[in-house]
Amino acid sequence: MLKPILLVEDNPKDVELSLVALGKSQLANEVVVVRDGAEALDYLRCQGIYADRAQGNPAVVLLDLKLPKVDGLQVLEQIKGDPHLQSTPVVILTSSREEKDLLRGYRLGVNAYVVKPVSFKEFIEAIQELGVFWALINEPPPGSLKPKR
Amino acid sequence: MLVNATGPPDLATCDREPIHIPGGIQPHGVLLTLNEPDLAVLQASLNVQDLLGVDARDLLGRPVEDVLGADLGQALRASIERGLLDKHPLFLGKGPLAAGSQQFDAIVHRSDGALILELETAAVDDGSAFRDLYPLVRTSLSGFEGASRVFELCTMAAAEVRRLTGFDRVLIYRFDEGWNGTVIAEDRNDELPSYLDLRFPATDIPEQARILYRDSRVRLIADAAYRQVPIIPPDNPRNGRPLDLSFATLRSVSPVHVEYMRNMGTASSMSISILRDGKLWGLISCHHKSPRVVPYEIRTACDFLGQVLALQIAAKEQREELEHRLARKAVQVRLLGGMTEENDFVEGLVRLQAELLELVEASGAAILHDGHCTLIGQTPDEGWVDRIADWLEREGRDDLFAAESLAGHFGDAGAIKDVASGVLAIAISKLHRGYLFWFRPEVIRTVTWGGDPGASKRPDEGGRIHPRKSFEAWKETVRGQSAPWRPSEVEAATELRNAIVGIVLRQAEERAQLSAELERSNKELEAFSYSVSHDLRAPFRHIVGYSEMLREEESTRLGEESKRYIDTIIESAQYAGSLVDNLLAFSRMGRTTIHPVPIDMNSLTREVVRDVMAEAGGRSIAWKIGDLPKVEGDLMMMRLAMGNLASNAVKYTRPRAEAVIEIGAEVKGGEVIFFVRDNGIGFDMRYADKLFGVFQRLHRMEDFEGTGIGLANVRRIMSRHGGRTWGEGEVDRGATFSFALPRLSGPEKGKGAARGSVSDAETDPAGGR
Repeated sequence: MLKPILLVEDNPKDVELSLVALGKSQLANEVVVVRDGAEALDYLRCQGIYADRAQGNPAVVLLDLKLPKVDGLQVLEQIKGDPHLQSTPVVILTSSREEKDLLRGYRLGVNAYVVKPVSFKEFIEAIQELGVFWALINEPPPGSLKPKR
Repeated sequence: MLVNATGPPDLATCDREPIHIPGGIQPHGVLLTLNEPDLAVLQASLNVQDLLGVDARDLLGRPVEDVLGADLGQALRASIERGLLDKHPLFLGKGPLAAGSQQFDAIVHRSDGALILELETAAVDDGSAFRDLYPLVRTSLSGFEGASRVFELCTMAAAEVRRLTGFDRVLIYRFDEGWNGTVIAEDRNDELPSYLDLRFPATDIPEQARILYRDSRVRLIADAAYRQVPIIPPDNPRNGRPLDLSFATLRSVSPVHVEYMRNMGTASSMSISILRDGKLWGLISCHHKSPRVVPYEIRTACDFLGQVLALQIAAKEQREELEHRLARKAVQVRLLGGMTEENDFVEGLVRLQAELLELVEASGAAILHDGHCTLIGQTPDEGWVDRIADWLEREGRDDLFAAESLAGHFGDAGAIKDVASGVLAIAISKLHRGYLFWFRPEVIRTVTWGGDPGASKRPDEGGRIHPRKSFEAWKETVRGQSAPWRPSEVEAATELRNAIVGIVLRQAEERAQLSAELERSNKELEAFSYSVSHDLRAPFRHIVGYSEMLREEESTRLGEESKRYIDTIIESAQYAGSLVDNLLAFSRMGRTTIHPVPIDMNSLTREVVRDVMAEAGGRSIAWKIGDLPKVEGDLMMMRLAMGNLASNAVKYTRPRAEAVIEIGAEVKGGEVIFFVRDNGIGFDMRYADKLFGVFQRLHRMEDFEGTGIGLANVRRIMSRHGGRTWGEGEVDRGATFSFALPRLSGPEKGKGAARGSVSDAETDPAGGR
């Protein structure tokens, strides 16, 4: 069974557009959508409403930055600071082109940083590339630890 | 003349001569010391034989009544009982003694544990002395009241003292800070020459003599030719110490002084000290050609006059100083007003330069503040001002410095003595190098000395240094000195300093507050653009996304017109999105820190040309690129600027079959000027000033794409590097866009780059020509 893709996104329109884009990339992975940072951490740590979910980390986390409750960079920090989660690839997918967010993301060990293009065509291409790269090609061996960046 | 075992003292040892224990007295009276409480005689001067007809040795151990008689003896015992005796001589009374009919004045005081009794021969008391004295003193006092100035007062006092004492010449002698004395008033007959206005060096009255003058106000030398009368036994048998005669009226004086008097041609002298605030201000100095004994009561009257004179001098000097000070205050108030009215206190001081000079009666001033030097009136050049400031800084003079002769601190200051012999400086900043200077020119003065002061320094053949022989007026010209800075002027300068430091401090606080406000509004701007970047972009993305989904979903059902509508929606939303992106990039350009590095503009331009050619779709463009100098700046920004200019040139030459784009540079003045010239469609110079504005376009959208932010970016980048930008063109005849940067070499290097984003001025005086 393929690992799911975790999409962390609060804006329903972005959720829909992202799902359409992922759908077009013909990935077989299930896409789990969570709507804020706290829920993302609950999912990743199998706690709260996700206490009973099947064990295992997602293939990739597509993470928005501006999120209710716990923001994207805080989620990233938690993931990269948690020995059980730090090997999970995280791709920041955001509207922000802010240099300081970018720097902070890389400092915290993000695997890729993508500014959502205004053009939908470019967006679909970006999502497809990400999905294929992180969900299929670059799947890390289960349980193996990637060195921290 | 006394000759002691160590040889005669001379001027070189004058300062060390123990003049308070001379071991003998002058012969116009006798001195006894008494044992307490029995008042038996312990010591006696040898001249008791001459004056009392008793051998000194026979007197030792005898009760004091055997000398004084019962009445004066009783008076002495009563004075002791009543505790009246201390170191100041007390007049016991006048009268004949136990033996003989000679009248004596009996004076007693305590010294170093000894009770000293002095008996001076006196005229028969007919009661006239005090009767005559009182009206004399009374007229003196009322005269003093009327005097308006110190000089006048002193002239009156000299005349009064001469009237009371009958001396040939009475001088009022005033000390300066260096203890040199000047005769400021005189009253005399023709027996002795005038000493008025003469100056006497400090060595004439050595320090221990000045101490005696201060402690014991009246001193008499009745006959300079006297032989000192020894005292037996020489040391006090009670404590074994030589007798301290500091307060004794008969104290024998230094042989050097006697020699000095003889050289002056005076046989007798008397001096009365003038004390102001416990300090020796001057002397009333009396001389007589022949020996002269001044009776005790006259001396007392003179002492009284001296004290009144001292009080009057103090009052007059204080009033003169106060008036001067009040005048300073008025000037100071005007200056303070001027300084606070201007934004910068320096501007205020420059505007009120007459007052600034008047404050301390200077002829020139210099203000060194914030690295700038402002000169007012007659001053040395900036180089000198800098040197003096450097010196003050090194010396740690962080408050006030005043000098009448700059040459005393700078050997070569003679070169500027005409404008700056005198300097008064105040430090006006605690943190930075800031000084306010006042200057005064040289005032050439002639000082007339009482004899060549150098003559006293030349030893005789035996190596002994004598007091000078001649007191003939000896003129000296004093150069390289300004008029002295008065205490009220120094005080005014200090107060001005405090005011300036306060103003500078307040202005610094205001600046700090302003920059805090700027920082806050900058932060707000940052937060604003951050949220724009997130929230404003998202809807445009959604419009584009959903429109594209709609177009795809309904592609078969939509008519051509409907498809064009949807395409327009998508295009517009995409354009809006890129406007937001460009605006954000522009705002970031103003906020991000500049990282200056040396940049090779040749290779930067090659890369830029390669990039724009990749977008040019195979057009034929002739690039003419000159040799470009290195600059210092932020690499990313510089590349963006050159990239914008190059891609504009490519864009606006599109209608040309043969596009020619020239990039070059020239060094001119302190700047390096780069230009990008094309043979494109050009522009109307009337709109030139609009070109560098944000979202300003001169062409129709369908002719030339773009959001109109490129040149605004170029200008912002250059302004943040301390440079400037401008454009020249003609419709259909091409355009030239230029930017100028400060030159790499020299102290200005990197200064522009260090300029903060806060003060990012978009104004460009040369822009838009």
